[in-house]
Order: sequence, then C-alpha cells, then structure tokens
Amino acid sequence: MSANTESNPEMLAGVFQQEEAPEGRLKVSFGPQHPGSGHMRIILTVNGDIVEDAVPDVGYVHRGVEKMCEYKNYIQNIPHIERPAIHDSSGTIFPYILAVERLLDMTEKVPERAQYIRVIMAELNRMINHFYFFGILGIFMGHTTPITWGMGDRDYLIDVAASATGARVTFSYFVPGGVRTDLPYGFEDKLLKTCDYLESRIPAYKAYLEENPFARMRLTGVGVIKRSDAVALGLAGPTLRGSGVKSDVRKDEPYSLYDTLEFNIPTREEGDAMARMMVHFEEVKESLSIVRQAAKKLRPGPVKVPLRGQIRGKVGEAYARTEGARGMNSYYIISDGQIHPYRVRVNTGDSRNLAAMRPVLIGGKVADVPVAHWSLDYWPVASDR
Amino acid sequence: MKTSEFLKGLAVSVWTGTVHLFRHRMTSMYPETQNYPNTEMYAYDPKKGVAVSGWRGRHYLDMSKCTGCQLCFIACENIAEAIEMIPVPEAAHAQNKKSIYPGVDYGRCVFCGFCVDACPFYALYMTPVAEISEMNRNDLYYSPVELSVPPVPNPAPKVHVNFDKKRGSHDER
Ligand code: SF4
Ligand code: SF4
Repeated sequence: MSANTESNPEMLAGVFQQEEAPEGRLKVSFGPQHPGSGHMRIILTVNGDIVEDAVPDVGYVHRGVEKMCEYKNYIQNIPHIERPAIHDSSGTIFPYILAVERLLDMTEKVPERAQYIRVIMAELNRMINHFYFFGILGIFMGHTTPITWGMGDRDYLIDVAASATGARVTFSYFVPGGVRTDLPYGFEDKLLKTCDYLESRIPAYKAYLEENPFARMRLTGVGVIKRSDAVALGLAGPTLRGSGVKSDVRKDEPYSLYDTLEFNIPTREEGDAMARMMVHFEEVKESLSIVRQAAKKLRPGPVKVPLRGQIRGKVGEAYARTEGARGMNSYYIISDGQIHPYRVRVNTGDSRNLAAMRPVLIGGKVADVPVAHWSLDYWPVASDR
Repeated sequence: MKTSEFLKGLAVSVWTGTVHLFRHRMTSMYPETQNYPNTEMYAYDPKKGVAVSGWRGRHYLDMSKCTGCQLCFIACENIAEAIEMIPVPEAAHAQNKKSIYPGVDYGRCVFCGFCVDACPFYALYMTPVAEISEMNRNDLYYSPVELSVPPVPNPAPKVHVNFDKKRGSHDER
C-alpha cells in the first residue's frame, strides 16, 4: 500500500474514532444516513437498551450563510437566508428584513397592510412547520397515519401561502419596505376557508396523538427537561414553553403590529415530549386565531415602499429578533455603508435547542431516541446554516 | 394509565381512523389533474415598484422590449448565476443595440424572481409553468429565443381544492 492510500489516523480522529467504547458498551452511530436523524449524527454509547452517552455530531449541512451574506447585496441575500429553514421560510427571513429596515431607517414607513400580510405569512409558516412536526413525530413513534395527515393538511396551508407568494416553500416574499406583491383576488376567502377546515381537523389529531394510549406511552416522560434546566441551557421556542417558561418574542417585544392582536402563549409544566407536542397543538390554535384577526384588519392600501436602485444601509449596526416556528430567530447586521453587509450574524432557535440534546438522550432507551430528538424541535439545516 | 382510560383512548383513536375511511381523498390526481394555487404570470411593475402576484415558474422574455441592459444578469449574479447574456444577432430589434438577451439555466435557477424585479423595461416575466424536466442536463438551458416562446401549459384540467365540513377536502374542477 502506498502512503497515499493509507488512512491518516490524525485526520480521521473525529469524536467517533477518538475513544473506544468502554468495556461491555457499544458505540452506535445514529445517522447521518439514518432517516430519523435528519442531517446529523448522534454518537450513542449504549449499554443494552439504555443510552449512556450521546454526542451530537453536527455540521453536515453547514453552507456558510453568514459568510455568503458578506458578498451579496441586501436583496440577493433573501433567497439564500431562507433556504436553510424550508419549513419556516417566512419566520427565518422576518428578522433579517426587520434588521435591514432598521439600517435604512424605515421601520415606521412600512405600510400597515404589509405588516398584517407579514403576520399572516409568518403564522401560516408556523402552522406549516407544526403540521410537519406532527407528521414526523408520528412516524418516529412508528405510527404511519399522522405523517399522511400532517403532510396532507400542511399542503392546504402551502396552497394558500403559494397563491399570494408564487412559490410553494421558499417564498422570498418579504423585502425591505414591505412585501413583494399584493394579495391576489379571493385570497382572504381562501384563507378563512382553510382556517375553518384546519380547525375541524384538530380533534382528529388530538385523538391520534393525545388520546391514543400508545402514543401517550411513547411520549409521556420521554426527554424530560426541567424548567430550571431549560432556562440554564438557553432553549427557545416550543421546547422552552413545554418546560413551563412563558417566553415569546411576539409578546415580550412585539414587532410588526403583533401588539394589536390578541393571543395567548401556551405553556406546559411537564417538560416531556408530550408537553412539547401539546404546546405545538395549542400554538396551531393560536395561529389560526391570529390569522383570522389579521385578515379582518386588512385594509386596502399600499403593500410596499418602493426602494429605487441599490440599497445601502447607513454605517452602523442593527439587531432584530422574531419568534420563528422553532424558537427565537435573531439577526445582527453590521453595515459599513456598502451595498452589502459587513457582517451578518444569524442565530436560530434550532441551534439553541441542540444544547438540550445530550442531557435529554442520556439515560433514555434507544427506541426513544428519535422521539426525544424530534420533539426538541431541532432542525439541523437551520441550525448549521 | 387506568384500564378504563386505556380502552377509552383506544376506542376514540380507532373510531377516528375508521371515520376517515369515508372521507374524501386528500391527494390531487396529478398529472391527470393539476392544482396550481395561482395561475397568473408573475410580473413586476417598475413604475410602481410592486410586483403583480403570480406563479414563479418558467421565464418568458419579451424580445421586442428587452434592451440588453443586463440588470437581470446582475441581479442573478450572486443568487444562482443562472442568467447569461447571449448575443442573438439574427433578432433585429432596434432598442437592443448590442443584440444581447438573457438565457436562463434551469439547472441553477432557484425561481426567486428577483431578475423580474430588476428588469426596468417590462421585458421579463415568470409564467405558471414549472414542469421543466429533461433527460439531458444541457437541455435545461433555455436560450433567449426559447424563452421568448410562451410555454405550453400542461393540458390536464386545472382543479382547485374544495373544503367540505363533514367529509374533508376534495378536488373540484
Ligand atoms: S429567478 Fe432568481 S435564480 Fe432564477 S434566473 Fe431569476 S434571479 Fe436567477
Ligand atoms: S430582460 Fe430586462 S433586465 Fe434583462 S437585459 Fe432585457 S431589459 Fe435588461
């Protein structure tokens, strides 16, 4: 064997290779090809059926969004930034747009209609994400029906959103100054009909995921995060609220006219997978009510402040945060007056929920790994960026 | 969990599943029928600065309006590098002095539509036809002349979703 083909042990010394499993234990690589791991790997040390150690090995889908943002102008960044979080493309782009508007000193100038349209789109995206969540949670429990329902019902929401935006998943709909297009004719009617339909679907999901004794056995007591731990780990979104912490950027720091709408922040005390799933349920209901209220408040008017030519941010920095479907998304942009940002820092709720992965999996059963992993609301692509 | 609770939960979920046997099918019968949420062309009005909502599918290039200003090319440059300016000497349009027109590589295009937003001369649109698949990768490249031919829509009947309170949703022509 020539020197070239011999493997270099130093290069291969990842987490997996570094240590042998202790006596009587087995090291299992859960992913990245495992359909349940997403685009990541969890290195499990198992003792029989019990997980003794779990090391998340992330970074498989890192694409350098932050660095790419430095080479593209403010508009060209939009399609790139929303690609990583396909189930929540509006929620991902929202804080970026708010931050750019702060750099352009035009936060107050955004028309009211555009702000309500943004609220509607963000809430539609939240529901799209949550129905996907139910579907995948079901299939991870070995329960095939929820995934067919989740994907099917999610598609009606996509239909509504796509009729306004012109794309099914990556909407590229929010731009600095408003939204790109006005709503098409008949949009509100379609929106309200879809909301009514989804409202009537909730009991079926409840029967399958909450009342179904087998689902309850699989979800209750799995992946418990105590309230104090959730705060200490810095978790976000439904995972944090599932542990009893009432925290939501929409209420804490209202943006885009969320303060004119009435809604609750559902929380649960238990902190297990069941609690997190119930928070998702309640959030779908709240989102339906927000969408209805926002649709009522839509008044005819402009949807965008036209921006001519290249956008140049003022010299300085801007920070904005919003509540995405999987937690708080925040953007921090530094501008040096060029047509492209000097630095963009992205923080998504997903990457913060990763902190809970290890404590949650340790001590559990191997069969509970997919459920606990998915219930944390961690989406590798958005987290790696 | 108590036995009575267990049995009740089991009955509720089995009953819910059984009821679904008699509900409408959720899926559309594509390609026999097709359900496009929006059947308009995506267009941009540079005077107002706002786009007209439509489906962002294959582009349509109006060669009699394109001036070869390359703004669409510049817009796409950092997004997907899908647009290339191609000289088309045989197209004699007075407003296009250099006779260069945009061609789009659909192997790269992400259908964001920012090239349409960049065009100041009402020359570029996006049509509600997104069924672009080829056996050969090179065929995904559309020259300006190909882009200037309006795409042939799928002849399958267009349907829309109709919601029925009791029996779920179904497609309606
Ligand atoms: S739609 Fe987007 S990716 Fe496609 S050619 Fe236009 S600017 Fe480029
Ligand atoms: S399509 Fe529009 S933007 Fe592109 S070169 Fe022609 S006129 Fe310019």
